[in-house]
Amino acid sequence: MDFIMEHQFDQTKNGWLIDISGEVDIFNSEKMKSRFLDIIESKKADLYVSCRNLEYIDSTALGALVTVLKHVKAYGGEIYLKSIKPSIAKLFKITNLNQVFIIEGDANE
Amino acid sequence: MNNANALNESIQLSLPTNAAYVSAARLTASSIANRMVFDIDEIEDIKAAVSEACTFVIKNLPQQTQDCFKIVFGIAKESLTVTISVSASLPVSALREEIGIVMIKALVDELRLPGSDSDRFKIEMTKRHKKTAFD
Repeated sequence: MDFIMEHQFDQTKNGWLIDISGEVDIFNSEKMKSRFLDIIESKKADLYVSCRNLEYIDSTALGALVTVLKHVKAYGGEIYLKSIKPSIAKLFKITNLNQVFIIEGDANE
Repeated sequence: MNNANALNESIQLSLPTNAAYVSAARLTASSIANRMVFDIDEIEDIKAAVSEACTFVIKNLPQQTQDCFKIVFGIAKESLTVTISVSASLPVSALREEIGIVMIKALVDELRLPGSDSDRFKIEMTKRHKKTAFD
C-alpha cells in the first residue's frame, strides 16, 4: 500500500492542514519527504498533520519527518502530529521522537 | 482446519532485495501472527520488527548485489521466531546504533544479532505470546 497526502492552507491557523493516509516505509519515505518539502517551499508555515488514516510508518519515514522538522524549525515553525494510531505512537515513543514532535490526541478522538 | 499452534512449523519467504517488497514481508508477518492468535498490539510489534529488519538488510546491502533475502517464520506453540538472512556481508558494527535495530529491540522479546562480519548476515528475533494461544 502506498500513501496519499492531501494538503490545504488554513488562513485561520496560518498553517498547512495535511492529511496523510496509508503506509510509509523505505519504498516511499523519500517521496513523502519531497512532498512535505514542496509544501513548505510554497509557503513557510506550521504544519498540522492528521495521521488518523496513517496505517504504518517505519524508521526511514521517521527519519524523513525529522528532516522535514529541521527545515520547519529553521524558519521558526512547528509540526503538530494529530490523531496518531497507538501502534505508531509506540514507535515515536521507542525512538524518543515523541519529545521532538508535538503530538496531539490519538486516533480515537 | 488445524490452527497454527502446537506444531513446530516453518514458513519461508524469499524476496528480492527491493524496497518495493518490504510491504509483502509485513503482510506475511501479520497474517502468520494473526493465525497464531497474537493480540493486535503484538501483531503490530511483529509486523514493525520484521519490516525494520528487512529495511536494514536492503539499506545496508553492498551496491551491485543482485540477490534475494530470506525470511523464515518459525512457528512454535508459545512463540514466533523470525530469521532474516542474506548471502552478503553487512556492516555489523553499525547495527547497534541503527534506529531500526533500536526499534526491533523494543518490539520483540529476544533479538540475536550477528557477532562479527561473515559471508552470511542474519538477524533472528523471537516474540512470545503474553498468554499461550488456545489456553
